[in-house]
Amino acid sequence: MNALADAANERLLIEAAQQDPTRFAELYETNFNRVYAYVARRVTDRAEAEDVTAEVFHTALINLRRFQWRGVPFAAWLVRIAANALADRWKKQSAGKELLVEERGEEIADDDPQVERNAMLFQLVERLPPDQRLVIFRRFVEQRSVREIARDLGRSEGAVKQLQFRALESLRSQMKERP
Amino acid sequence: MSSVAICEELDFAIDGMFADVTPAGQPQSKEVRNLLNIAVALREMPRHEFKSRLGLELGWRAAGRPLAPNNATSVFQQGSRLYPVQGRSFAYSAAFHSAMAAAIFLCFALVKVQPLMQSASEHTATMLQPYIAVPLASGRVSGGGGGDHSKSPASHGELPRMTAQQISPPVVQIENLKPRLAAEPTVVGPPDTSTIAKNQLGDPLSKLMLPSNGTGIGGGIGSGEGGGVGSGRGGPGIGTGIFHIGNGVSAPRPIFTPEPEYSDEARQAKFQGIVSMWAVIGSDGHPRSLRIVRSLGMGLDEKALEAVRSWRFEPGMKDGHAVAVEMIVEVDFHLF
Repeated sequence: MNALADAANERLLIEAAQQDPTRFAELYETNFNRVYAYVARRVTDRAEAEDVTAEVFHTALINLRRFQWRGVPFAAWLVRIAANALADRWKKQSAGKELLVEERGEEIADDDPQVERNAMLFQLVERLPPDQRLVIFRRFVEQRSVREIARDLGRSEGAVKQLQFRALESLRSQMKERP
Repeated sequence: MSSVAICEELDFAIDGMFADVTPAGQPQSKEVRNLLNIAVALREMPRHEFKSRLGLELGWRAAGRPLAPNNATSVFQQGSRLYPVQGRSFAYSAAFHSAMAAAIFLCFALVKVQPLMQSASEHTATMLQPYIAVPLASGRVSGGGGGDHSKSPASHGELPRMTAQQISPPVVQIENLKPRLAAEPTVVGPPDTSTIAKNQLGDPLSKLMLPSNGTGIGGGIGSGEGGGVGSGRGGPGIGTGIFHIGNGVSAPRPIFTPEPEYSDEARQAKFQGIVSMWAVIGSDGHPRSLRIVRSLGMGLDEKALEAVRSWRFEPGMKDGHAVAVEMIVEVDFHLF
């Protein structure tokens, strides 16, 4: 029942965005983590993941009017755009190396469960208490050491390690509760 | 194990993860190993600034505006902090822009400017384009009339004059005989249409002669809603009310779509493509007024019309009511 309601809501959101592109923001917020997680699993560095993700959403916005609702989640359409964008990149990067393209092409699986888990994890990080969230971002996104974070936040290293532990513990327990 | 010891072990393991080495002193406790799995996934987490920045860019683009000016990086600073400055790209860009500026300057410096001989004749522009009705802000572009909740339907009469903008809706029975500011009753429509009423106003399709504004609401004449004339809803125009999708009007959803047959000619020629047709999906879900707008030929247009006539839709909705909606229906002819 919830899935049906979600699908109906998503359809309404898409139709609204097709009529008024400024409503695309809601679709972006809902699907950003899913697309980013999909792309990040398939590229080697963060800059490339950001480039491809940006390309996906810009392409989606331009082609939104052509999207036709057929009961398939909007995320699936975005992931297909991402897969095409990645395939194009790999073709360009490995011009004349068809074997490599084919090998990497096989990696594109739209329903990778790890992608779903990562997208969910990124969503949960945004709901952590502010101090834990800050430590997680500094430690894992910016890859700063505990000492640097402690200095920036004006707290002891022990306190930062505690925040890091509590944040990870909280994320793990919430992930366990979800299917 | 105490929480302090776990925190230390976890942090040690995370440092090892970043350095891509397994820390010495194995084995890690099960709890730390579980948390490390989460930590590994977190390495792929997006930067918060990137998400906000991209959202902003999309918002600007969706609104039809150019991207925010601070999107560009600068050689003096890290620009938007989103994209780092790339020295070589910046140098190419600077060189290219300098060359272009020099070329423009040379054009101005070398070309001798001569005064233009201007014609003194005056021209009168004649507007040739047809009248296009201006959609209302609420998206109500269809016509339709209202009434004043009378018990009897709207009476027969003539349409009032059509204007691009309505000030006062037409009525058969005038309640306010001494208005402070009198305005001619009109309906929205092409202003050049000659519908100047000489007799009593009313609904031309009605056969009743007893004066009545009709059973609808909204101040016009008819059984619908709005300030126009007729049985439609939502507009100060005339008619039965056909809506466009969007602005509160949902698109009809096909629920029964039998496959069209292929014509023999097209099958033999292995001809494929899409036939597009304009259709009005009635509030009962039946398509009508079908008109081909993109033809394929080879008998496929007829087959498409035949198929779509048998289709059924979940009607478009507006304010919780099923309404007639115009839309483009596509029929895909595909050989497998």
